[in-house]
Amino acid sequence: MKGRGRPIVALLLVGFVLVATGVIWRRSFGIAQSRELRDLDRQRLELEARKARLQGEIRELSSRARLAPIAEQRLNMHVPNASQVIYLPRPSAPRE
Amino acid sequence: MNSLLTPGAGLDSVSGSRTPRVSRLGIVHGALALFAAALVGKAAQVQLWQGAMWEARAVRQHYRASSLPAPRGDILDATGQTIVQSRELVQLRVAPREVKDRRALARALARARVPAEWVRRATDVKRAWVEIPGRFLPSDVAAASAMRGVHVSPVADRVLVASPGTRRIVGRVGPDGRAVDGIELALDSVLRGRQGTATVLRDAHGRSFESPTAPGVAATAGHTVVLTINHALQDICERALADAVDRMAADGGDIVVMDPHSGAVLAMAGLRPDPRATAATALSEPFEPGSTLKPFIAAKLLELKRARPDETIDTHDGVLVRDGRTITDTHKAPSMTLTEVIMQSSNVGIVQFAERLSPREEFETLRDLGIGAPSGLPYPAEASGTLREPRRWSKTSAASLAMGYEVAVTPVQLVAAYASIANGGELLEPALVKEIRSADGDVLFKHERRVVRRVMPPDIARQVREMLLQTVSRGTAQEAFLSTFEMGGKTGTARVTDGAKGYQANRYTASFIGVFPADDPQYVILVKLDNPAGGVYYGGKAAAPVSKVVIEAAIAARDAALNRGVLAARARVRPEAETASAAGKRGSLALRDAASPATVPALPADSDAARAGNSLRAGGGGPAHYAAPAAALRVADPVPAPRISVLPARAPRPAPRPPATPRAVPDVRGLPLRAAVRVLHEAGFRVALAGASSGAAETWPAAGTMLRAGATIRLAYER
Repeated sequence: MKGRGRPIVALLLVGFVLVATGVIWRRSFGIAQSRELRDLDRQRLELEARKARLQGEIRELSSRARLAPIAEQRLNMHVPNASQVIYLPRPSAPRE
Repeated sequence: MNSLLTPGAGLDSVSGSRTPRVSRLGIVHGALALFAAALVGKAAQVQLWQGAMWEARAVRQHYRASSLPAPRGDILDATGQTIVQSRELVQLRVAPREVKDRRALARALARARVPAEWVRRATDVKRAWVEIPGRFLPSDVAAASAMRGVHVSPVADRVLVASPGTRRIVGRVGPDGRAVDGIELALDSVLRGRQGTATVLRDAHGRSFESPTAPGVAATAGHTVVLTINHALQDICERALADAVDRMAADGGDIVVMDPHSGAVLAMAGLRPDPRATAATALSEPFEPGSTLKPFIAAKLLELKRARPDETIDTHDGVLVRDGRTITDTHKAPSMTLTEVIMQSSNVGIVQFAERLSPREEFETLRDLGIGAPSGLPYPAEASGTLREPRRWSKTSAASLAMGYEVAVTPVQLVAAYASIANGGELLEPALVKEIRSADGDVLFKHERRVVRRVMPPDIARQVREMLLQTVSRGTAQEAFLSTFEMGGKTGTARVTDGAKGYQANRYTASFIGVFPADDPQYVILVKLDNPAGGVYYGGKAAAPVSKVVIEAAIAARDAALNRGVLAARARVRPEAETASAAGKRGSLALRDAASPATVPALPADSDAARAGNSLRAGGGGPAHYAAPAAALRVADPVPAPRISVLPARAPRPAPRPPATPRAVPDVRGLPLRAAVRVLHEAGFRVALAGASSGAAETWPAAGTMLRAGATIRLAYER
């Protein structure tokens, strides 16, 4: 009986160590994932902020207030008056 | 206890009896056993009896509840383009005494474009705490924020992606995330969303991160608000207004465009010299409308059958004395019909016609149009205007109201009132919000046309529209005339009052309200200019041309909330070109037959001036001819004539006239549809689209065929 008890205790200890290691690994992994999520979330927010800034710049650069003077002065363009706009009646799609 | 005794070791030599003797090993074993028992006991105490208390303390030390800010909802325009959206930036706070490498911090801050003065302060050890103004992208300040002594806190920022003037409509959100004004404030509960909560863990370095195991409640994003504003039209209006204010050295102005069939406000531009005036002035600043109220008096008279459009009244050569007050006309005529009174904006005429209404009827006419009451738009600073009850009127109030004085309206109220003329007599509730959508895309609210009341019968509205049409074609608003479309409108030129000082000399509000196109309106447009300088202060001279600029730009724009199919059917085919100065030469404008749409050719630029008293035939309807005396055809407004005109005439490039000689059909194969049409037009041909072809664009007759200019080429294009 004495000879069989030690291996059992050893096995129990090994099992305990393994389970504890697993729990700690899982927790560490979860924390690492959480950190990564946090970093990715920050990146997302920053990219969204950049996107908003770039959209604002695009909007400003393509606005009438900016483009119209350039088109009028450099390219000699002008807004057509009502009579210079041509309406093309679009034919209905042919029936199959 | 047997283990503590050594067997056979403790025999008494005298009696020979055995007495137990404790060995040292036994003592050690006993002590260990007691210690183990104590540990187990303590563990049992901690785990079983005190477990809850210790667990709660551990949670307090390691975990922290944190609120998750809810992303504020976006604001979009009617076409889905973003007007305002949220982004997260960071704010920097520096404790200079905690900073180890101040030179490195200075370099990092300078790279982030922090002003030099603030860089100096942030590295000054005499200061304990420095809050750097401004907000930064986290990546821009990453180097600085990694340093000891630099504290970073996230702040939500609202970014305006649309034109700057849109800010007046949508309003602002303060640095603390609270809405300040505009739509942001009016719909704050919809836009702000619901905060969430998260359990935050702290690691050995004190850094916080969300616990992977502890539960939390996710933040709910705010709803998306879709406005009725069309960004392209808003842009057009803002530019036209800025140009007009600059050109005429006006104090400011407003432009409002509304869809008369739905009540949707399509554009609302405002300009004031004071940069602190950030509100939508078209909603917050009432003004005396002047002559633009006259059509409503006429409508009431027609409805009550107390006047007819062709009924003539004695206008006393433009001078009338009532209750000791002299009322004058700029255009002095011995008599005018009701139509001409509106057309020429005769004060003498409208005052006499208005005497056929009782004060109560006149008051109720204006009250029913929504004057003196908020329009119902979701805007916190909306003014209700002023309309006094008859018991508070003076002897001259009835006459003043008929001329548009002693009453104050906001531009939006006035546009909504004119929309009732445009849509057949129904006063609609103006709308600024088209839709509200949840973050998941579910539509929570959708604007539907809401009729407040009927203010005039449809036939009366049609008659008033005819009067407005005459005002543009032959009256005071000829500067708004469009050669291709019918345009109706009314001018207003009102003196400006300055509180107790009364009406100011040489200070006017010039306004024009147009209905475009007059026979099937898609826009009601108001242009108002505050105190235009340089001698041009007539509504017809100062404001009407601006409306024309806006409409022409809207027609040419890709999407400015116009139904082009309907518009194309309303376009005139080939109006005869006349100059504006040829007011006496009456041409004939044949309206396009709506039932047979065809390609409308490009017209010479100068044809735009074809107007001034043409005999008009309404599309599809009977003739509506108003024979005005020659004297009544001059422009008149109830204010002194301007001294000089500073309006520079636009000099459009003349469009090439198609040649009359036969020429070859150009080869347009391989060209995009738009380019193919352009090439064919430049060659002098008309184009009719013939539907899809199997390959690239093809023409019939084929390329190279000799045809006379003006012939129609059928163009089949790739779908």
